[in-house]
Amino acid sequence: MNIYGWIFLILSWSGILTLGTFCFHRVFSKKEVK
Amino acid sequence: MIPYFVALLLLGIPLVWIEWTLGRYGGGFEHGTAPGIFHSLLQKNRFIKYFGVIGIFGPFVIFIYYTFIASWTLGYSFYSIKGVLAPLGDQASIQSFLRGYQGLEQNGFFKSIAPAYMFFLITFSLNIFVIYYGIRGGIETLCKIALPVLFCFGIILAIRVLTLGAPDAAKPGWNVGNGLGFLWNPDFGALKSAKVWLAAAGQIFFTLSVGIGVILTYASYLSKGDDVVLSGMTAVSMNEFAEVVLGSSIIIPAAFVFFGPIDIQAIARQGAFDLGFVTMPLILGKLPLSSIFSFLWFALLFLAGVTSSVSLAQPAVAFLEDEFNISRKRAVGIFAAVGFLLCQPAIFFLGRGVVNELDFWGGTFCLVLFGTIETILFVWVFGMDKAWEEIHHGADIRIPRIFKFIIKYVTPVFLLVILGAWFFQEGLPTIFLKGVSEADKPFVLWTRLGLIALFSALAIMVKIAWRKRRKRA
Repeated sequence: MNIYGWIFLILSWSGILTLGTFCFHRVFSKKEVK
Repeated sequence: MIPYFVALLLLGIPLVWIEWTLGRYGGGFEHGTAPGIFHSLLQKNRFIKYFGVIGIFGPFVIFIYYTFIASWTLGYSFYSIKGVLAPLGDQASIQSFLRGYQGLEQNGFFKSIAPAYMFFLITFSLNIFVIYYGIRGGIETLCKIALPVLFCFGIILAIRVLTLGAPDAAKPGWNVGNGLGFLWNPDFGALKSAKVWLAAAGQIFFTLSVGIGVILTYASYLSKGDDVVLSGMTAVSMNEFAEVVLGSSIIIPAAFVFFGPIDIQAIARQGAFDLGFVTMPLILGKLPLSSIFSFLWFALLFLAGVTSSVSLAQPAVAFLEDEFNISRKRAVGIFAAVGFLLCQPAIFFLGRGVVNELDFWGGTFCLVLFGTIETILFVWVFGMDKAWEEIHHGADIRIPRIFKFIIKYVTPVFLLVILGAWFFQEGLPTIFLKGVSEADKPFVLWTRLGLIALFSALAIMVKIAWRKRRKRA
Protein backbone atom coordinates (compact mmCIF):
# COMPACT_ATOMS: atom_id res chain seq x y z
CA MET A 1 0.00 0.00 0.00
CA ASN A 2 1.37 3.42 -0.87
CA ILE A 3 1.63 6.42 1.48
CA TYR A 4 -1.63 7.95 0.20
CA GLY A 5 -3.42 4.66 0.89
CA TRP A 6 -2.12 4.59 4.46
CA ILE A 7 -3.09 8.23 5.03
CA PHE A 8 -6.55 7.61 3.59
CA LEU A 9 -7.02 4.44 5.65
CA ILE A 10 -5.85 6.07 8.89
CA LEU A 11 -7.99 9.19 8.33
CA SER A 12 -11.08 7.13 7.50
CA TRP A 13 -10.72 4.65 10.34
CA SER A 14 -9.94 7.34 12.90
CA GLY A 15 -12.88 9.44 11.63
CA ILE A 16 -15.26 6.50 11.97
CA LEU A 17 -13.91 5.48 15.39
CA THR A 18 -14.04 9.10 16.66
CA LEU A 19 -17.61 9.51 15.40
CA GLY A 20 -18.60 6.19 17.02
CA THR A 21 -16.96 7.09 20.33
CA PHE A 22 -18.58 10.54 20.33
CA CYS A 23 -22.04 9.15 19.52
CA PHE A 24 -21.91 6.32 22.05
CA HIS A 25 -20.52 8.67 24.72
CA ARG A 26 -23.45 11.05 24.14
CA VAL A 27 -25.98 8.20 24.03
CA PHE A 28 -24.81 6.62 27.28
CA SER A 29 -24.31 9.90 29.14
CA LYS A 30 -27.80 11.06 28.17
CA LYS A 31 -30.41 10.81 30.90
CA GLU A 32 -33.48 8.77 30.03
CA VAL A 33 -36.51 11.08 29.72
CA LYS A 34 -39.63 9.37 31.05
CA MET B 1 -13.42 4.81 -1.57
CA ILE B 2 -13.41 8.60 -2.18
CA PRO B 3 -16.82 8.56 -3.99
CA TYR B 4 -18.08 6.25 -1.22
CA PHE B 5 -17.28 8.80 1.51
CA VAL B 6 -18.63 11.70 -0.58
CA ALA B 7 -21.90 9.77 -1.12
CA LEU B 8 -22.00 8.98 2.61
CA LEU B 9 -21.78 12.68 3.49
CA LEU B 10 -24.06 14.12 0.81
CA LEU B 11 -26.56 11.30 0.46
CA GLY B 12 -26.38 8.69 3.20
CA ILE B 13 -26.31 10.81 6.34
CA PRO B 14 -28.97 13.32 5.10
CA LEU B 15 -31.26 10.44 4.06
CA VAL B 16 -30.82 8.75 7.45
CA TRP B 17 -31.92 11.94 9.22
CA ILE B 18 -34.79 12.45 6.75
CA GLU B 19 -36.13 8.90 7.17
CA TRP B 20 -35.80 8.82 10.95
CA THR B 21 -37.55 12.20 11.22
CA LEU B 22 -40.30 11.27 8.76
CA GLY B 23 -40.93 8.01 10.62
CA ARG B 24 -41.11 9.68 14.02
CA TYR B 25 -43.33 12.45 12.63
CA GLY B 26 -45.74 9.93 11.04
CA GLY B 27 -45.72 7.82 14.19
CA GLY B 28 -47.16 10.86 16.00
CA PHE B 29 -50.21 10.51 13.74
CA GLU B 30 -50.35 6.75 14.42
CA HIS B 31 -48.97 5.88 10.99
CA GLY B 32 -46.10 3.41 10.77
CA THR B 33 -45.74 3.11 7.00
CA ALA B 34 -45.03 5.41 4.09
CA PRO B 35 -48.62 6.01 2.80
CA GLY B 36 -49.78 7.30 6.18
CA ILE B 37 -46.54 9.14 6.90
CA PHE B 38 -46.66 10.97 3.56
CA HIS B 39 -50.35 11.75 4.12
CA SER B 40 -49.52 13.29 7.49
CA LEU B 41 -47.05 15.65 5.74
CA LEU B 42 -49.78 17.23 3.62
CA GLN B 43 -53.20 16.11 4.79
CA LYS B 44 -55.08 18.22 2.27
CA ASN B 45 -53.61 16.30 -0.65
CA ARG B 46 -55.48 13.12 -1.64
CA PHE B 47 -52.74 11.66 -3.82
CA ILE B 48 -49.61 12.07 -1.72
CA LYS B 49 -50.30 8.81 0.15
CA TYR B 50 -49.99 6.77 -3.08
CA PHE B 51 -46.29 7.67 -3.33
CA GLY B 52 -45.96 5.74 -0.09
CA VAL B 53 -47.06 2.47 -1.75
CA ILE B 54 -43.45 2.17 -2.98
CA GLY B 55 -42.34 2.10 0.69
CA ILE B 56 -44.33 -1.13 1.27
CA PHE B 57 -43.94 -2.66 -2.19
CA GLY B 58 -40.12 -2.33 -2.33
CA PRO B 59 -39.28 -4.09 0.96
CA PHE B 60 -41.91 -6.79 0.30
CA VAL B 61 -40.38 -7.56 -3.11
CA ILE B 62 -36.90 -7.70 -1.60
CA PHE B 63 -38.21 -10.00 1.17
CA ILE B 64 -39.52 -12.43 -1.49
CA TYR B 65 -36.04 -13.30 -2.77
CA TYR B 66 -33.86 -12.17 0.12
CA THR B 67 -35.25 -14.84 2.48
CA PHE B 68 -34.20 -17.56 0.04
CA ILE B 69 -30.72 -16.08 -0.39
CA ALA B 70 -30.36 -15.66 3.40
CA SER B 71 -31.22 -19.36 3.73
CA TRP B 72 -28.20 -20.29 1.55
CA THR B 73 -25.94 -18.90 4.27
CA LEU B 74 -27.59 -21.27 6.75
CA GLY B 75 -27.03 -24.13 4.30
CA TYR B 76 -23.40 -23.10 3.77
CA SER B 77 -22.76 -22.89 7.53
CA PHE B 78 -24.23 -26.42 7.86
CA TYR B 79 -22.06 -27.81 5.03
CA SER B 80 -19.02 -25.99 6.44
CA ILE B 81 -19.24 -27.61 9.85
CA LYS B 82 -20.00 -30.94 8.14
CA GLY B 83 -16.66 -30.55 6.34
CA VAL B 84 -18.13 -30.57 2.82
CA LEU B 85 -17.03 -27.07 1.76
CA ALA B 86 -13.43 -27.09 2.99
CA PRO B 87 -12.08 -29.75 0.55
CA LEU B 88 -13.47 -27.88 -2.50
CA GLY B 89 -10.21 -26.29 -3.55
CA ASP B 90 -11.08 -24.61 -6.85
CA GLN B 91 -13.59 -22.17 -8.24
CA ALA B 92 -15.22 -24.70 -10.61
CA SER B 93 -16.00 -27.13 -7.76
CA ILE B 94 -17.59 -24.42 -5.61
CA GLN B 95 -19.58 -23.09 -8.55
CA SER B 96 -20.82 -26.63 -9.17
CA PHE B 97 -21.68 -26.98 -5.48
CA LEU B 98 -23.65 -23.70 -5.58
CA ARG B 99 -25.53 -24.63 -8.76
CA GLY B 100 -26.42 -28.03 -7.32
CA TYR B 101 -27.57 -26.45 -4.08
CA GLN B 102 -29.73 -23.93 -5.98
CA GLY B 103 -31.35 -26.78 -7.93
CA LEU B 104 -29.97 -25.48 -11.23
CA GLU B 105 -28.27 -28.80 -12.00
CA GLN B 106 -28.04 -32.31 -10.63
CA ASN B 107 -24.47 -33.20 -9.76
CA GLY B 108 -22.29 -35.11 -7.35
CA PHE B 109 -23.15 -32.67 -4.56
CA PHE B 110 -26.95 -32.47 -4.84
CA LYS B 111 -29.59 -34.55 -6.60
CA SER B 112 -32.43 -32.04 -6.04
CA ILE B 113 -33.33 -28.68 -4.54
CA ALA B 114 -34.74 -30.44 -1.42
CA PRO B 115 -31.86 -29.53 0.98
CA ALA B 116 -31.99 -25.87 -0.11
CA TYR B 117 -35.77 -25.89 0.31
CA MET B 118 -35.43 -27.32 3.81
CA PHE B 119 -33.04 -24.51 4.80
CA PHE B 120 -35.45 -22.02 3.22
CA LEU B 121 -38.32 -23.40 5.35
CA ILE B 122 -36.22 -23.06 8.52
CA THR B 123 -35.23 -19.48 7.59
CA PHE B 124 -38.76 -18.47 6.64
CA SER B 125 -40.21 -19.96 9.85
CA LEU B 126 -37.56 -18.20 11.95
CA ASN B 127 -38.44 -14.92 10.24
CA ILE B 128 -42.13 -15.32 10.94
CA PHE B 129 -41.41 -16.33 14.55
CA VAL B 130 -39.33 -13.19 15.11
CA ILE B 131 -41.84 -10.91 13.33
CA TYR B 132 -44.69 -12.44 15.34
CA TYR B 133 -43.07 -11.50 18.63
CA GLY B 134 -42.89 -7.88 17.48
CA ILE B 135 -40.24 -5.20 17.80
CA ARG B 136 -39.53 -5.65 21.49
CA GLY B 137 -39.99 -9.39 21.90
CA GLY B 138 -38.73 -10.39 18.46
CA ILE B 139 -36.33 -8.08 16.68
CA GLU B 140 -34.89 -6.45 19.79
CA THR B 141 -34.13 -9.83 21.37
CA LEU B 142 -32.66 -11.17 18.12
CA CYS B 143 -30.47 -8.08 17.66
CA LYS B 144 -29.31 -8.09 21.30
CA ILE B 145 -27.96 -11.60 20.76
CA ALA B 146 -27.12 -11.60 17.06
CA LEU B 147 -25.32 -8.26 16.71
CA PRO B 148 -22.72 -8.65 19.48
CA VAL B 149 -22.08 -12.22 18.25
CA LEU B 150 -21.81 -10.90 14.69
CA PHE B 151 -19.31 -8.21 15.72
CA CYS B 152 -17.23 -10.74 17.66
CA PHE B 153 -17.15 -13.04 14.59
CA GLY B 154 -16.17 -10.08 12.43
CA ILE B 155 -13.37 -8.99 14.74
CA ILE B 156 -12.00 -12.58 14.98
CA LEU B 157 -11.98 -12.92 11.18
CA ALA B 158 -10.43 -9.45 10.68
CA ILE B 159 -7.61 -10.24 13.14
CA ARG B 160 -7.02 -13.58 11.41
CA VAL B 161 -6.81 -11.97 7.97
CA LEU B 162 -4.66 -9.01 9.09
CA THR B 163 -2.14 -11.41 10.66
CA LEU B 164 -1.81 -13.56 7.52
CA GLY B 165 1.29 -11.67 6.30
CA ALA B 166 2.45 -13.25 3.03
CA PRO B 167 1.51 -16.95 3.35
CA ASP B 168 3.23 -17.96 0.08
CA ALA B 169 6.99 -17.41 0.56
CA ALA B 170 7.47 -17.58 -3.23
CA LYS B 171 5.16 -14.58 -3.70
CA PRO B 172 6.15 -11.99 -1.06
CA GLY B 173 4.16 -9.28 -2.88
CA TRP B 174 0.93 -11.14 -2.18
CA ASN B 175 0.70 -9.78 1.36
CA VAL B 176 -1.95 -8.14 3.52
CA GLY B 177 -0.43 -4.64 3.18
CA ASN B 178 -0.78 -4.76 -0.60
CA GLY B 179 -4.24 -6.29 -0.18
CA LEU B 180 -5.27 -3.24 1.83
CA GLY B 181 -3.61 -1.09 -0.82
CA PHE B 182 -5.87 -2.61 -3.50
CA LEU B 183 -8.81 -1.13 -1.62
CA TRP B 184 -7.32 2.04 -0.14
CA ASN B 185 -4.76 3.41 -2.61
CA PRO B 186 -6.61 6.37 -4.15
CA ASP B 187 -7.15 6.14 -7.90
CA PHE B 188 -7.78 9.80 -8.80
CA GLY B 189 -8.34 8.90 -12.47
CA ALA B 190 -11.41 6.83 -11.54
CA LEU B 191 -13.09 9.94 -10.08
CA LYS B 192 -13.97 11.01 -13.64
CA SER B 193 -16.09 7.88 -14.19
CA ALA B 194 -19.86 8.33 -13.65
CA LYS B 195 -20.15 4.57 -13.12
CA VAL B 196 -17.89 4.72 -10.06
CA TRP B 197 -20.01 7.47 -8.49
CA LEU B 198 -23.21 5.55 -9.22
CA ALA B 199 -21.80 2.37 -7.69
CA ALA B 200 -20.70 4.30 -4.58
CA ALA B 201 -24.15 5.89 -4.20
CA GLY B 202 -25.84 2.50 -4.67
CA GLN B 203 -23.63 1.00 -1.98
CA ILE B 204 -24.57 3.77 0.44
CA PHE B 205 -28.29 3.11 -0.18
CA PHE B 206 -27.92 -0.58 0.61
CA THR B 207 -25.56 -0.27 3.50
CA LEU B 208 -27.58 2.33 5.42
CA SER B 209 -30.94 0.77 4.41
CA VAL B 210 -32.18 4.13 3.17
CA GLY B 211 -34.79 4.42 0.42
CA ILE B 212 -36.37 1.10 1.36
CA GLY B 213 -39.09 2.23 3.76
CA VAL B 214 -37.95 0.09 6.68
CA ILE B 215 -36.44 2.92 8.75
CA LEU B 216 -39.74 4.82 8.46
CA THR B 217 -41.52 1.95 10.20
CA TYR B 218 -38.88 1.48 12.90
CA ALA B 219 -38.72 5.24 13.58
CA SER B 220 -42.52 5.47 13.83
CA TYR B 221 -42.25 3.64 17.18
CA LEU B 222 -40.18 6.52 18.60
CA SER B 223 -41.80 9.15 20.78
CA LYS B 224 -41.78 12.84 19.91
CA GLY B 225 -38.92 13.58 22.34
CA ASP B 226 -36.62 10.85 21.06
CA ASP B 227 -33.40 12.06 19.50
CA VAL B 228 -33.21 11.15 15.82
CA VAL B 229 -30.05 13.17 15.12
CA LEU B 230 -27.87 11.31 17.60
CA SER B 231 -29.59 7.95 17.03
CA GLY B 232 -29.15 8.31 13.26
CA MET B 233 -25.48 9.24 13.60
CA THR B 234 -24.88 6.37 16.04
CA ALA B 235 -26.42 3.93 13.56
CA VAL B 236 -24.25 5.39 10.78
CA SER B 237 -21.08 5.12 12.89
CA MET B 238 -21.77 1.49 13.82
CA ASN B 239 -22.57 0.64 10.23
CA GLU B 240 -19.39 2.29 8.95
CA PHE B 241 -17.35 0.48 11.60
CA ALA B 242 -18.77 -2.85 10.43
CA GLU B 243 -18.46 -2.09 6.72
CA VAL B 244 -15.31 0.03 6.42
CA VAL B 245 -13.19 -1.04 9.39
CA LEU B 246 -14.16 -4.73 9.65
CA GLY B 247 -15.42 -5.37 6.10
CA SER B 248 -12.39 -3.85 4.40
CA SER B 249 -10.10 -5.92 6.61
CA ILE B 250 -11.58 -9.27 5.66
CA ILE B 251 -12.67 -10.11 2.12
CA ILE B 252 -10.51 -8.00 -0.20
CA PRO B 253 -7.17 -8.36 1.68
CA ALA B 254 -7.78 -12.12 2.04
CA ALA B 255 -8.67 -12.46 -1.65
CA PHE B 256 -5.53 -10.50 -2.59
CA VAL B 257 -3.27 -12.62 -0.39
CA PHE B 258 -4.57 -15.90 -1.84
CA PHE B 259 -5.31 -14.98 -5.47
CA GLY B 260 -2.84 -12.18 -6.20
CA PRO B 261 -3.15 -8.78 -7.91
CA ILE B 262 -4.39 -10.10 -11.29
CA ASP B 263 -7.09 -12.58 -10.25
CA ILE B 264 -8.51 -10.28 -7.58
CA GLN B 265 -9.57 -7.82 -10.29
CA ALA B 266 -11.57 -10.56 -12.01
CA ILE B 267 -13.06 -11.56 -8.65
CA ALA B 268 -14.03 -7.96 -7.84
CA ARG B 269 -15.78 -7.69 -11.23
CA GLN B 270 -17.88 -10.80 -10.51
CA GLY B 271 -19.87 -8.84 -7.92
CA ALA B 272 -21.10 -9.51 -4.42
CA PHE B 273 -22.97 -12.69 -5.30
CA ASP B 274 -19.94 -14.66 -6.49
CA LEU B 275 -17.78 -13.02 -3.85
CA GLY B 276 -20.15 -14.28 -1.15
CA PHE B 277 -20.89 -17.84 -2.23
CA VAL B 278 -18.01 -18.84 -4.51
CA THR B 279 -14.95 -16.78 -3.60
CA MET B 280 -15.42 -16.61 0.18
CA PRO B 281 -15.53 -20.41 0.63
CA LEU B 282 -12.31 -20.56 -1.41
CA ILE B 283 -10.66 -17.93 0.76
CA LEU B 284 -11.92 -19.52 3.96
CA GLY B 285 -10.76 -22.92 2.72
CA LYS B 286 -7.19 -21.59 2.64
CA LEU B 287 -7.23 -20.57 6.31
CA PRO B 288 -6.13 -22.91 9.08
CA LEU B 289 -9.17 -24.45 10.86
CA SER B 290 -11.07 -23.65 7.69
CA SER B 291 -14.26 -25.56 8.59
CA ILE B 292 -14.64 -23.58 11.82
CA PHE B 293 -13.87 -20.20 10.21
CA SER B 294 -16.18 -21.02 7.31
CA PHE B 295 -18.95 -22.00 9.73
CA LEU B 296 -18.42 -18.78 11.73
CA TRP B 297 -18.50 -16.67 8.57
CA PHE B 298 -21.71 -18.11 7.14
CA ALA B 299 -23.39 -18.24 10.55
CA LEU B 300 -22.52 -14.53 10.84
CA LEU B 301 -24.04 -13.82 7.46
CA PHE B 302 -27.14 -15.82 8.37
CA LEU B 303 -27.73 -13.84 11.57
CA ALA B 304 -27.24 -10.58 9.66
CA GLY B 305 -29.55 -11.84 6.91
CA VAL B 306 -32.35 -12.70 9.34
CA THR B 307 -32.19 -9.28 11.03
CA SER B 308 -32.49 -7.74 7.54
CA SER B 309 -35.28 -9.97 6.24
CA VAL B 310 -37.26 -9.46 9.45
CA SER B 311 -36.98 -5.69 8.99
CA LEU B 312 -38.08 -6.00 5.35
CA ALA B 313 -41.32 -7.59 6.52
CA GLN B 314 -42.10 -4.82 9.00
CA PRO B 315 -43.65 -2.23 6.62
CA ALA B 316 -46.21 -4.71 5.22
CA VAL B 317 -47.14 -6.04 8.67
CA ALA B 318 -47.30 -2.54 10.19
CA PHE B 319 -49.45 -1.37 7.24
CA LEU B 320 -52.03 -4.10 7.94
CA GLU B 321 -51.97 -3.36 11.67
CA ASP B 322 -52.12 0.45 11.48
CA GLU B 323 -54.37 1.09 8.51
CA PHE B 324 -56.75 -1.88 8.82
CA ASN B 325 -56.80 -2.07 12.63
CA ILE B 326 -56.10 -5.78 12.73
CA SER B 327 -54.14 -7.60 15.42
CA ARG B 328 -50.43 -8.32 14.98
CA LYS B 329 -51.18 -12.05 15.09
CA ARG B 330 -53.56 -11.79 12.12
CA ALA B 331 -51.33 -9.35 10.24
CA VAL B 332 -48.35 -11.70 10.57
CA GLY B 333 -50.57 -14.64 9.50
CA ILE B 334 -51.67 -12.83 6.32
CA PHE B 335 -48.11 -11.71 5.59
CA ALA B 336 -46.74 -15.23 6.13
CA ALA B 337 -49.31 -16.82 3.80
CA VAL B 338 -48.87 -14.27 0.98
CA GLY B 339 -45.10 -14.03 1.46
CA PHE B 340 -44.66 -17.82 1.41
CA LEU B 341 -46.61 -18.14 -1.85
CA LEU B 342 -44.70 -15.32 -3.52
CA CYS B 343 -41.33 -16.77 -2.47
CA GLN B 344 -41.94 -19.94 -4.53
CA PRO B 345 -41.23 -18.52 -8.02
CA ALA B 346 -37.98 -17.01 -6.70
CA ILE B 347 -36.92 -20.48 -5.48
CA PHE B 348 -38.04 -22.68 -8.35
CA PHE B 349 -37.38 -20.27 -11.25
CA LEU B 350 -34.13 -18.81 -9.93
CA GLY B 351 -32.28 -19.87 -13.08
CA ARG B 352 -34.92 -18.21 -15.26
CA GLY B 353 -34.09 -14.65 -14.26
CA VAL B 354 -36.92 -14.21 -11.73
CA VAL B 355 -34.63 -13.15 -8.87
CA ASN B 356 -32.72 -10.70 -11.11
CA GLU B 357 -36.02 -9.14 -12.14
CA LEU B 358 -37.25 -8.87 -8.54
CA ASP B 359 -33.90 -7.40 -7.49
CA PHE B 360 -33.95 -4.86 -10.30
CA TRP B 361 -37.38 -3.46 -9.41
CA GLY B 362 -37.53 -4.01 -5.65
CA GLY B 363 -33.87 -3.79 -4.71
CA THR B 364 -32.57 -1.13 -7.09
CA PHE B 365 -35.17 0.98 -8.88
CA CYS B 366 -37.52 1.41 -5.90
CA LEU B 367 -34.65 2.38 -3.55
CA VAL B 368 -33.47 5.32 -5.62
CA LEU B 369 -37.00 6.36 -6.59
CA PHE B 370 -38.31 6.21 -3.03
CA GLY B 371 -35.24 8.04 -1.66
CA THR B 372 -35.80 10.82 -4.19
CA ILE B 373 -39.55 11.07 -3.48
CA GLU B 374 -39.22 11.18 0.29
CA THR B 375 -36.45 13.81 0.12
CA ILE B 376 -38.51 16.06 -2.18
CA LEU B 377 -41.67 15.62 -0.08
CA PHE B 378 -39.85 16.31 3.18
CA VAL B 379 -37.76 19.24 2.03
CA TRP B 380 -39.92 20.91 -0.59
CA VAL B 381 -43.51 19.91 0.26
CA PHE B 382 -43.29 19.84 4.06
CA GLY B 383 -40.89 22.80 3.96
CA MET B 384 -37.21 23.03 4.85
CA ASP B 385 -37.66 25.29 7.89
CA LYS B 386 -40.30 22.99 9.40
CA ALA B 387 -38.23 19.97 8.42
CA TRP B 388 -35.09 21.40 10.10
CA GLU B 389 -37.07 22.14 13.27
CA GLU B 390 -38.64 18.66 13.20
CA ILE B 391 -35.24 16.96 12.80
CA HIS B 392 -33.92 18.80 15.88
CA HIS B 393 -36.94 18.05 18.08
CA GLY B 394 -35.50 16.38 21.20
CA ALA B 395 -32.01 16.41 19.70
CA ASP B 396 -29.01 16.36 22.00
CA ILE B 397 -26.71 17.78 19.33
CA ARG B 398 -27.20 20.40 16.59
CA ILE B 399 -26.50 19.42 13.03
CA PRO B 400 -23.96 21.79 11.38
CA ARG B 401 -25.88 24.41 9.35
CA ILE B 402 -24.09 23.40 6.16
CA PHE B 403 -26.31 20.31 6.18
CA LYS B 404 -29.40 22.54 5.86
CA PHE B 405 -28.07 23.58 2.46
CA ILE B 406 -26.97 20.02 1.61
CA ILE B 407 -30.34 18.48 2.52
CA LYS B 408 -32.29 21.19 0.67
CA TYR B 409 -30.29 21.37 -2.56
CA VAL B 410 -27.39 18.94 -2.84
CA THR B 411 -29.13 15.71 -1.78
CA PRO B 412 -32.19 16.07 -4.08
CA VAL B 413 -30.03 17.12 -7.05
CA PHE B 414 -27.57 14.28 -6.39
CA LEU B 415 -30.51 11.83 -6.21
CA LEU B 416 -32.11 13.13 -9.41
CA VAL B 417 -28.77 12.88 -11.25
CA ILE B 418 -28.31 9.30 -9.99
CA LEU B 419 -31.86 8.38 -10.94
CA GLY B 420 -31.46 9.86 -14.44
CA ALA B 421 -28.01 8.42 -15.12
CA TRP B 422 -28.93 5.03 -13.71
CA PHE B 423 -32.17 4.95 -15.74
CA PHE B 424 -30.36 5.50 -19.03
CA GLN B 425 -27.38 3.25 -18.23
CA GLU B 426 -29.16 0.28 -16.67
CA GLY B 427 -32.89 0.98 -16.55
CA LEU B 428 -33.69 1.14 -20.27
CA PRO B 429 -31.72 -2.00 -21.27
CA THR B 430 -33.41 -3.95 -18.46
CA ILE B 431 -36.90 -2.70 -19.32
CA PHE B 432 -36.41 -3.78 -22.95
CA LEU B 433 -35.13 -7.23 -21.81
CA LYS B 434 -31.65 -6.69 -23.21
CA GLY B 435 -29.51 -9.76 -22.54
CA VAL B 436 -32.49 -11.95 -21.53
CA SER B 437 -32.60 -15.23 -23.44
CA GLU B 438 -35.72 -16.17 -25.44
CA ALA B 439 -36.34 -19.10 -23.09
CA ASP B 440 -36.32 -16.83 -20.02
CA LYS B 441 -38.46 -14.03 -21.47
CA PRO B 442 -41.86 -15.57 -20.49
CA PHE B 443 -40.66 -15.99 -16.88
CA VAL B 444 -39.38 -12.42 -16.71
CA LEU B 445 -42.58 -11.04 -18.22
CA TRP B 446 -44.76 -13.05 -15.83
CA THR B 447 -42.67 -11.75 -12.93
CA ARG B 448 -43.22 -8.23 -14.20
CA LEU B 449 -46.98 -8.82 -14.43
CA GLY B 450 -46.95 -10.23 -10.91
CA LEU B 451 -45.15 -7.14 -9.64
CA ILE B 452 -47.67 -4.84 -11.35
CA ALA B 453 -50.49 -6.88 -9.75
CA LEU B 454 -48.82 -6.63 -6.32
CA PHE B 455 -48.27 -2.88 -6.65
CA SER B 456 -51.88 -2.36 -7.81
CA ALA B 457 -53.22 -4.51 -4.96
CA LEU B 458 -51.26 -2.41 -2.42
CA ALA B 459 -52.50 0.85 -4.00
CA ILE B 460 -56.11 -0.43 -3.81
CA MET B 461 -55.56 -1.42 -0.18
CA VAL B 462 -54.37 2.13 0.56
CA LYS B 463 -57.54 3.48 -1.07
CA ILE B 464 -59.76 1.10 0.96
CA ALA B 465 -57.93 1.90 4.20
CA TRP B 466 -58.43 5.65 3.75
CA ARG B 467 -62.09 5.18 2.81
CA LYS B 468 -62.59 3.20 6.03
CA ARG B 469 -60.71 5.88 7.95
CA ARG B 470 -63.00 8.60 6.56
CA LYS B 471 -66.11 6.57 7.50
CA ARG B 472 -64.79 6.09 11.04
CA ALA B 473 -64.08 9.82 11.31
